Amino acid sequence: MLRSTSPLLSLFAFLLVWGAALVSAVSTTGNRLLAVFDDVGEKENYSKFLGDLEGRGFQISYETPKSESLALFHLGERAYDHVIFFPTKTKGLGPNLTPQILVNFLNANGNILHTLSSTTTTPNTLISLLAELDITLPTERTGLVVDHFSYDTLSAAETHDVLALPPPVPVRNDISPLFSADAPAGQLLAFPHGVGAVLGPREQLTPILRAPKTAYSYNPKEQSEVLEANELFAAGQQLSLVTAFQAINSARFVLLGSAEMLQDKWFLAEVAAPGGKSVKTFNREFAKRVSAWAFQELGVLRVNWIEHHLNEVSAVNESNPHIYRVKNDVTYTISLSEYAYDKWTSFSLPANDVLQLEFSMLSPFHRLPLSLDKAHSSPEASAYTASFKLPDQHGIFNFKVNYKRPFFTNIEEKNTVSVRHMAHDEWPRSFVISGAWPWIAGIGATVSGWVVFVALWMYSAPTDKKVGSKKTN
Amino acid sequence: MSAETLQVLADVGKGKSTRGVLRVIILALIAGASIASRLFSVIRFESIIHEFDPWFNFRATKYLVANGFYNFWDWFDDRTWHPLGRVTGGTLYPGLMVTSGAIWHALRALTIPVDIRNVCVLLAPAFSGLTAVAAYLLTNEMTTYNSAGLLAALFMGIAPGYISRSVAGSYDNEAIAIFLLVFTFYLWIKALKQGSMLWGALCALFYGYMVASWGGYAFITCLLPLHAFVLILMGRYSTRLYVSYTTWYALGTLASMQIPFVGFLPVKTSEHMPALGIFGFLQLLAFLDYVRSAIPSRQFQTFLWLFAGGIFVMSLAALVVATSAGVIAPWSGRFYSLWDTGYAKIHIPIIASVSEHQPTAWPAFFFDLNLLIFVFPVGVYLCFQELADEHVFIIVYAVFGSYFAGVMVRLMLTLTPVVCVAGAIAISTILNNYLVAKTPTEEDQQAAEAAEKKGSKSGLKSATKPVVGIYGLWSKSLMVAGMAVYLLIFVMHCTWVTSNAYSSPSVVLASRMPDGSQHIIDDYREAYQWLRQNTKEDAKIMSWWDYGYQIGGMADRPTLVDNNTWNNTHIATVGKAMSSREEVSYPIMRQHEVDYVLVVFGGLLGYSGDDINKFLWMVRIAEGIWPDEVSERAFFTPRGEYRVDGEATETMKNSLMYKMSYYNFNNLFPPGQAVDRMRQARLPEVGPSLSTLEEAFTSENWIIRIYKVKDLDNVGRDHISATAFEKGLKKKKTTKKRGPRVLRVD
Repeated sequence: MLRSTSPLLSLFAFLLVWGAALVSAVSTTGNRLLAVFDDVGEKENYSKFLGDLEGRGFQISYETPKSESLALFHLGERAYDHVIFFPTKTKGLGPNLTPQILVNFLNANGNILHTLSSTTTTPNTLISLLAELDITLPTERTGLVVDHFSYDTLSAAETHDVLALPPPVPVRNDISPLFSADAPAGQLLAFPHGVGAVLGPREQLTPILRAPKTAYSYNPKEQSEVLEANELFAAGQQLSLVTAFQAINSARFVLLGSAEMLQDKWFLAEVAAPGGKSVKTFNREFAKRVSAWAFQELGVLRVNWIEHHLNEVSAVNESNPHIYRVKNDVTYTISLSEYAYDKWTSFSLPANDVLQLEFSMLSPFHRLPLSLDKAHSSPEASAYTASFKLPDQHGIFNFKVNYKRPFFTNIEEKNTVSVRHMAHDEWPRSFVISGAWPWIAGIGATVSGWVVFVALWMYSAPTDKKVGSKKTN
Repeated sequence: MSAETLQVLADVGKGKSTRGVLRVIILALIAGASIASRLFSVIRFESIIHEFDPWFNFRATKYLVANGFYNFWDWFDDRTWHPLGRVTGGTLYPGLMVTSGAIWHALRALTIPVDIRNVCVLLAPAFSGLTAVAAYLLTNEMTTYNSAGLLAALFMGIAPGYISRSVAGSYDNEAIAIFLLVFTFYLWIKALKQGSMLWGALCALFYGYMVASWGGYAFITCLLPLHAFVLILMGRYSTRLYVSYTTWYALGTLASMQIPFVGFLPVKTSEHMPALGIFGFLQLLAFLDYVRSAIPSRQFQTFLWLFAGGIFVMSLAALVVATSAGVIAPWSGRFYSLWDTGYAKIHIPIIASVSEHQPTAWPAFFFDLNLLIFVFPVGVYLCFQELADEHVFIIVYAVFGSYFAGVMVRLMLTLTPVVCVAGAIAISTILNNYLVAKTPTEEDQQAAEAAEKKGSKSGLKSATKPVVGIYGLWSKSLMVAGMAVYLLIFVMHCTWVTSNAYSSPSVVLASRMPDGSQHIIDDYREAYQWLRQNTKEDAKIMSWWDYGYQIGGMADRPTLVDNNTWNNTHIATVGKAMSSREEVSYPIMRQHEVDYVLVVFGGLLGYSGDDINKFLWMVRIAEGIWPDEVSERAFFTPRGEYRVDGEATETMKNSLMYKMSYYNFNNLFPPGQAVDRMRQARLPEVGPSLSTLEEAFTSENWIIRIYKVKDLDNVGRDHISATAFEKGLKKKKTTKKRGPRVLRVD
């Protein structure tokens, strides 16, 4: 049932996973976390956030960009599984953290959480990394998001630069509400002194938290008096405050517009929107969810097994055969699990979303919804299945599940099978086809007629010679 | 040596049975010689399958031997024409594979364990021995001289025109098909001469075997009815003709329809209509003949003949109407190109792109047939002199064979048997006239003169036959010696051509070192071995179709297109990918799940059969399907030159094929000195750059270059900017864009 791996390898993988699970409940890709600070002493401001991470099993190393021992790769392998960048004042991040290395880190399945702050300019290195991901920051490498309608009246009554926002709702209704689920009503999220980014059209990007429609971004140093319309960086929902990027290999990158919101003081503070009463911030829970998503603890999907077989009565009905025949009835089943902080659970589709199966050669011949198969599901895994008749076209086809949704691991599973033509003895026999009966009768008539003729010819006596001579005369 | 022994030796040749034994020995020696002369390639190189198509036949044979006949019959090959696959069992002529499979099984039954490869390699030489015997039999039907048959066997055995397709390792359909062709003709002549149903049935049987073996069976399908038709027009309709033809047609057509690839073609396509038409016409003639014998009226007879002619014309008209209405498939493109050699080039570039479909150059006739091409007309003339039914066959065959051989290079093969037969008749007639040691005695002469006097009294002078002849020993020996020298030269020419022109496997190239020793260039096998050992088993290889069979056979990897050019659109897709810019080609390659691209490049070695030289065909074939996206004109400079150097057009320089061929080529030379030795072109200083492909392998002499298709960029960039980023180039600032903002919509 499992996809083809050698038994030894899967045993090894099992032991590895089991061993990892013993250590602590942790991310699916590893627990080595690197936190990059300008000055390691700053970590005191984030003690609750970092403590939460350690509590979830991460081993955090603290480094500054200037450190010469800092290396993301060791002998070609990742030295860390995840990286957090806290705001740094340096212009670049030095030769150990070039944009190329960071992209390679993503390519090697490493995850990055990157925080910004309006009080420090972002290093050039990270700007070029963001440019590769199609994320744009204001030209001066910093900016400040303000909103005169949904600011925190307690701490920024005058400056309006601490936004008080409700927990984020997904941008589309078929996306799983990972970051706001189960949030108590009326909860507010404090977003102090944050930077907004503009996202390009790339499909790997999804905003987790967008600015309210009335927010805008400006540069407090140069545009403190007048903000001209054509110099506006961006406004409203085009400003993404917290951005998720998931690469094709499902490595995750999160751009958090405000590092301050992770600080202890905003975990404990109370905020109040204009005209509202003051409530405790939602920041701690939000930080947990965002970091859990970034470090592969949330929204991680796993394909347990894929199975397809002939759905017909036949002598040999093996699993996952390499070859089918045209117009066979087949059944395809895929088993999926979802990871939530410390355990694999069964994966249930978000409302309004469907899992689809394609049966394709160059282009899809079938695109079918997969439905939940209770018989093969368990609390740890849910199976989805579809049965259909193969097209009347031979060729090399793929069973393809291409499930790429924001906030979920990319699932692109391709199982190649050959679909052959009818063999010479698989057609119905001629006497079964009623249209062939006249022809069969014709053959019968010819054969029997010939036999009768031969019999007559052989047994009719030769005519008398006299009669013969008479005739010729 | 005493006079007695000489006498014994002279007597040996006189007895009838000793002559028979001698003939058998000579035939056996000829067969042996024809096999031996085909073994150059095995001795020079090794026991290896040659060229392109044989690699498929070899692979199919291996499949047959491994999986049995029924699995072979229903074989769906999912390793070619990815992702379409090929219903191989139904789209090939199985005769060749089944023959070698049967031989292999027979040898194993005799407890001779042989590798199937050796059976395949040596099949063609073995069958050439049989062809020589068949040529002997066929010629013996034409003439009473046995020497003619032996000569024909010898010619057939070593004529380069036939050797070109039947050296050891040339495991192609023609290897057995020429034997079947000649033998079927022999059986046809035999059946026609005797009016025998048995021989006709045998003829049909071998015709069926021929259909199972080679697409060229249509030559027989058209030649036999043509022969019958010519005989009818000559007023030689006979019951012999009726019996032999109808037996052959009925049984032969049934036999041919058993081959899945042929199926209902014999009743559906124009190529087969002459045979059907003559079959019907013969029934009519037989009926009229019967009526004529029953009613002896002269006027009625002429009426009947008119009636028959009318029916013939009417059925011809019906055929034309049925063809234009689409009931009968019209002539295929390959047939049109037989009448108009320019047709394929304009309408079906895929056919024209095959070198063996080109019109024959005149020197090729001399090259392939040498002396025979001169004596061939003499033989045909001698056939006119006797003009029995079988001689008409030779004449008809000669005329049509010559025409087709002139139109298409590969059809030299079908001409060769008739040239050998006619040439043998001519040379044996000459030798028989000059080798007779007997001179007429005085009495004979007197008797002849007496006869002349008698004759002059009674008839015309020209009708008498004076005793004229060459009786001088000198003139005889001079002529015979001359003929012997010619024949010796013929043998030497054949050996030379076989050894130099037709014995190269083309998978392995041979060149000479400065000191004269042989140097083997083995890039093809090096590259295929690399693919076999370093790529996934289902890695799809895209290459031009020429190399499809070899990749399938030697590297055992799935290919997109191969030498079985049945799907022009798929080939054009590959042509488009090769001739377009990277941005256009990449989605095509992704869609077809291509993992590696293979190109053949001769620029370093000066190897002429490379892809840049074939490139224009790719462009033409692609243009045939996508005239808006690919244009042949864009590959030529404004002055109409096809260049690869600095003055090449932008389209050329940006095409994937050009980039793959010349990628990194500059690094072999000092700056600015890169020279393409094939086209004698100095290349631009900066070589092409690739972003969607990466070089995976280049063979020793750079003949084969293999590129790996990159995956999609992990973070979603296009490949050009990803490559620029890798090189550390700064991204151009795009924030100061003019115009309206582009808003993201979620």
